[in-house]
Amino acid sequence: MKCESCNKRHATVHLTEINGNEKRERHLCEECAQSLNNPLVKMPTPADILSSLINQVAPEIGEMSKTTCPACGLSYLEFRSKGRLGCPMDYTAFKKGLVPLLEKMHGASQHIGKVPSRAGKELVVKNEVLQLRKELDKAVEKEDYEKAAKIRDRIFELSASEDKKDEGTVQQNG
Amino acid sequence: MNYPPAKIKKMRELYSKTGEWLRGTGPESDIVISTRIRLARNLANFPFLHRATEGQRKEVEKLIREKLKEATLTKDLHYVKLSEVSSVDRLYLMERRLISREHAGGDGERGVAFAKSETISVMVNEEDHLRIQVIRSGFELRDAWKTIDEIDNTLEEKLHYAFSPRFGYLTACPTNVGTGMRASVMMHLPALGLAHHIEKVFNAVGKLGLVVRGIYGEGTQALGDLFQISNQFTLGKSEVEILEIMEGVIPRIAGYERMARKALITENKEQLEDRVWRSYGMLKVARMLSSEEAMHLLSQVRMGVNLGLINDISVETLNELFVLTLPAHLQKLEGKEMEANERNVIRASYVRKRLGAFQ
Repeated sequence: MKCESCNKRHATVHLTEINGNEKRERHLCEECAQSLNNPLVKMPTPADILSSLINQVAPEIGEMSKTTCPACGLSYLEFRSKGRLGCPMDYTAFKKGLVPLLEKMHGASQHIGKVPSRAGKELVVKNEVLQLRKELDKAVEKEDYEKAAKIRDRIFELSASEDKKDEGTVQQNG
Repeated sequence: MNYPPAKIKKMRELYSKTGEWLRGTGPESDIVISTRIRLARNLANFPFLHRATEGQRKEVEKLIREKLKEATLTKDLHYVKLSEVSSVDRLYLMERRLISREHAGGDGERGVAFAKSETISVMVNEEDHLRIQVIRSGFELRDAWKTIDEIDNTLEEKLHYAFSPRFGYLTACPTNVGTGMRASVMMHLPALGLAHHIEKVFNAVGKLGLVVRGIYGEGTQALGDLFQISNQFTLGKSEVEILEIMEGVIPRIAGYERMARKALITENKEQLEDRVWRSYGMLKVARMLSSEEAMHLLSQVRMGVNLGLINDISVETLNELFVLTLPAHLQKLEGKEMEANERNVIRASYVRKRLGAFQ
């Protein structure tokens, strides 16, 4: 059977259109069918559907799918299917995928809170400043300016001690 | 049961009494039974447990067990290797809330260290290498935090924790990362249940980043009108901030429950009294009691005592009965393994005895 549109190529696409009570059959070649822009012809494969679904639910997976932790050998896909990480290093190896995931889970991806003293005094101070900034916002929101001023002073104090230490290192190096 | 005499002695000391957190003391203790905080911690130089080899698992258990001994957290810290005790013993530790359901059911080298008072326990090789836990009677978040913070500091001197400035304390499951802290408050909410207001509470609490679970953690049923309310998020907020949110919410729920109780008394006094006294009567005369039924009846009686309708029994006794009538506790009490039916008979008889009823 020849294509009813171009009358040249062999018709390989057979369409049945139903319009109200009317039924119409069409026989087209692939090229003509494409140019008709019929959605049926461009039907996506199951794999396409799956990947577009994954993209909607977890957009990072496509990009991260080939990532594997160098320390424990866990792949990102394994992590996503089981929900458990393999070792502490995974947090670094999978950072790109984890950040949006943590944002969704906790509404945040930056730790504010206790710091082990082993991690160093600087980090303890940094986290305290982060914490104080949040409190400052809260105090301003509540229009408790007295408290806000106190928090601001404490932030200055902590930042100043950090600056001093920085100067110290510069002098040492110089 | 086949284990060394020293271990049997340890376990026996346990089942002759109950933990301090059941005393029925502390703020809001008419409604808040207990406050619990746990911290999840992992060692930096080992894979998380589900990816660890049997050898690594053993190494982690040994290392932590030894460091726990060195750290002398309290004078009387017991350590039980869970691979060496029977399944009833593990269930028993779970019923006392010294270990989680997952830890009781798991396998491989794992253990738990706990203080005699049962207010402190450290699970080794649960989902994370370390799960430190502090339980207090009543609504005592600050107190519990102070204690657990100190324990954590002491252990941190001995063990190299996995920590990142960006993500905080690193855990096997990303739902625990950051502070690694889960604070939960066990509340007795029978009136809200009766008045069908409990769903409203759950919804409101959810909007504040808190979740409601049954008494033995994730996925467990809410037996005896007991609910655990805990923080859902562990990242992006400091420990104290999380506790502040709970401090704002829990007393309100307790207030709501008290209001619901008052409403029941003013609007339906006879009905409420009937319900409470019937429950008390059933506990005193029943010849067979399932664990579920016992919990339900105890819950009604506990509310009756709180409302001053019943005066001849203490909240502490009722709190204790909630735990002592659980399956593993009954089997320990009788010193033998029993089927459900036999347990129901023993349970009923034990409750009658404790309530000073006609035998």
